[in-house]
Amino acid sequence: MPILLAFAPAARADLVYVINSGEASITVLDAATRQEVRRIPVLREPHHMVLTPDGSELVIADSGGNEVFFVKPETGEVLRRARISNPYHLEYSPDGKYLVIASLRRDQVDILDAQTLELVHRFRPGDKPSHVAFSPDSRTVFVTMQGDRAVAAFDMGTRTHLWTQEVGPEPAGIIWHRGKLIIGVMGGDYFVTLDPVTRDVARAFTLGRGAHTIFPSPDGRSLYATSRVDSRVAEIDPETLAVRRTWAVPGGPDCLTFDPDGRIWMTLRWIGRIAVLDPRGETWETVRVGRSPHGIFFKPRRDGIGGDFALSMPGATSGSRPLATPLPRRPASGAPAPAGITPGSIPAAPAIPAALRRNP
Amino acid sequence: MVDWLADTYGLFTGWLFEEAVQPAMYALGLMDWAEEAFHWLDFFVFGLLGIGVVYLVCRPLEAWRPVERWPDGRLVRTDVVYTLLARLGILPLLAFVLFAAVQVRIEGLIADSGWVPPTLESTFPALREQPLLALLIYIVILDFGEYWRHRFQHTFGWWWALHSVHHAQTQMTFWTDDRNHILDDVIAAAWFGVIAVAIGVPPGQFPVILLVLRLGESLSHANVRLDFGRIGERLLVSPRFHRLHHGLLSAGATGKNYAVLLPVWDWIFGTADFDRARYPRTGDPSAPAALVTGGWLRQQVEGTKRLVRALRGRDA
Repeated sequence: MPILLAFAPAARADLVYVINSGEASITVLDAATRQEVRRIPVLREPHHMVLTPDGSELVIADSGGNEVFFVKPETGEVLRRARISNPYHLEYSPDGKYLVIASLRRDQVDILDAQTLELVHRFRPGDKPSHVAFSPDSRTVFVTMQGDRAVAAFDMGTRTHLWTQEVGPEPAGIIWHRGKLIIGVMGGDYFVTLDPVTRDVARAFTLGRGAHTIFPSPDGRSLYATSRVDSRVAEIDPETLAVRRTWAVPGGPDCLTFDPDGRIWMTLRWIGRIAVLDPRGETWETVRVGRSPHGIFFKPRRDGIGGDFALSMPGATSGSRPLATPLPRRPASGAPAPAGITPGSIPAAPAIPAALRRNP
Repeated sequence: MVDWLADTYGLFTGWLFEEAVQPAMYALGLMDWAEEAFHWLDFFVFGLLGIGVVYLVCRPLEAWRPVERWPDGRLVRTDVVYTLLARLGILPLLAFVLFAAVQVRIEGLIADSGWVPPTLESTFPALREQPLLALLIYIVILDFGEYWRHRFQHTFGWWWALHSVHHAQTQMTFWTDDRNHILDDVIAAAWFGVIAVAIGVPPGQFPVILLVLRLGESLSHANVRLDFGRIGERLLVSPRFHRLHHGLLSAGATGKNYAVLLPVWDWIFGTADFDRARYPRTGDPSAPAALVTGGWLRQQVEGTKRLVRALRGRDA
């Protein structure tokens, strides 16, 4: 019996990747126990990460180290590295052909071939290119220009700088949502919408000082936005852009990721922690990670669910890599999807042990 | 224990940033500098910690076995002003504000050239998995750079004109380490910064490296009769080793013992004096009264005058 047990496949916990920008490392957490299972050293100052179009690799950008490196999300194994100039925020085009990288400190926007990572074109559009978002047809990429109070648009086909539109002081996060862009105005307390055709800018909703980023939930029923001076997270109605609910989460909430059960995992930038918020309740818990945590990514390891599970759900039509329609569901790592699994009926994660549940 | 200390430190700086620094930056329309400000906070808090640790270590030593006793501490109080200005990040902040834009432009030019600057770890990949070893190597390289900067301060007339502010102190204590002309501080920051960028010092390690170097420098200036023994004297700069450098007969280009942290550089380059019996009086016999007994501002003005005279080809 003991021998049988030794060879029985171990239950694989979901993983959470957290970029510790202030101490040059990546924390890998067991999502169920909240324990650190691995710490990946990086060179200097990583900030953001993104999944490759096929969902097989996690691409982590170390802006201070002039490097991007590729990690196997199932294990945390570093597969390869590439020397890239000052990569801050990055995103793949929805068609998977290009990787666009914004360099906040070197005032450049680079288009790279997604396969070879060769530099296809470099724009120098102005002061502090910050966050990147695509149109669903992959034809246009939009970049917030933090130092210029603006968003710049680039044609991916002709490699031309189309326009720059003022949106407000120090714009940060940007997503495509239902034909418009939503942008966090960090020098203010609000988010704006920008029509990419007419370039009309309108105030969308007010959240709190230091309005920062916004993410669609996988089920498409909500958007979640953060502000970093007034430390808040808000649930936004995706249709009306009205604020439904607000949580005061101290510590400077920044990037978010979602698990298949609808929980929100977020980095708290100034206190070296992440928060786990279940929007069905009013409380959250915090987990200690490294210094100045920034990017965060939830990797399910349950049978039949890939790291890119959100791309096959309704929310996939919004975001920084929006799809025209959600992808057909594909099994993770070749594992067959259990019968009956459809978006919205994903099996639940193991329950959080009572000892780990705590209020803020 | 270390883990608890690190977490407490992180929570404290986070609280300070959220409650004071970030709201001020928002009000001033400087939110796009928030991340840099968060890093700067490390210099401020580490500076504060550094002063506390240095005081707790050096003050009892100076009370225990002082080399000299003085009727009053007026001259020492001037050095305290220097330390507060230098270590609470005020001078580094000014340097940052002045040079940040230039740095961004230079980095942009480098990026345009297609060259991606190397780091110690990209040159020696084995160091990727050895962050502590990498930190020690960074400290050794930067200390080597500090040795040569210090030698040049004594070699070139114009630079000695600035550095003589540091050597004019006749009541040397652990506070004296930061007694420098502001231009000398700017040059030192640029020197240190260029080397740090060239070898790719991680930003997160920068305050730690500064803390280590400055702890060593403060102790070496302490008014205490202390050496580290025949072997220890060759491994780490002691108060005795550095006092010989500040001795009355060592000012200017005739000096010995230039090392900041590791005496090995003096050993290698033939400038070491390991005589463990001597604890000479300190100061520069040729320094004017303004440089010896003046307050912070008077010393700065006098140092500037000496620089101008040196640049015009007259004696400092």
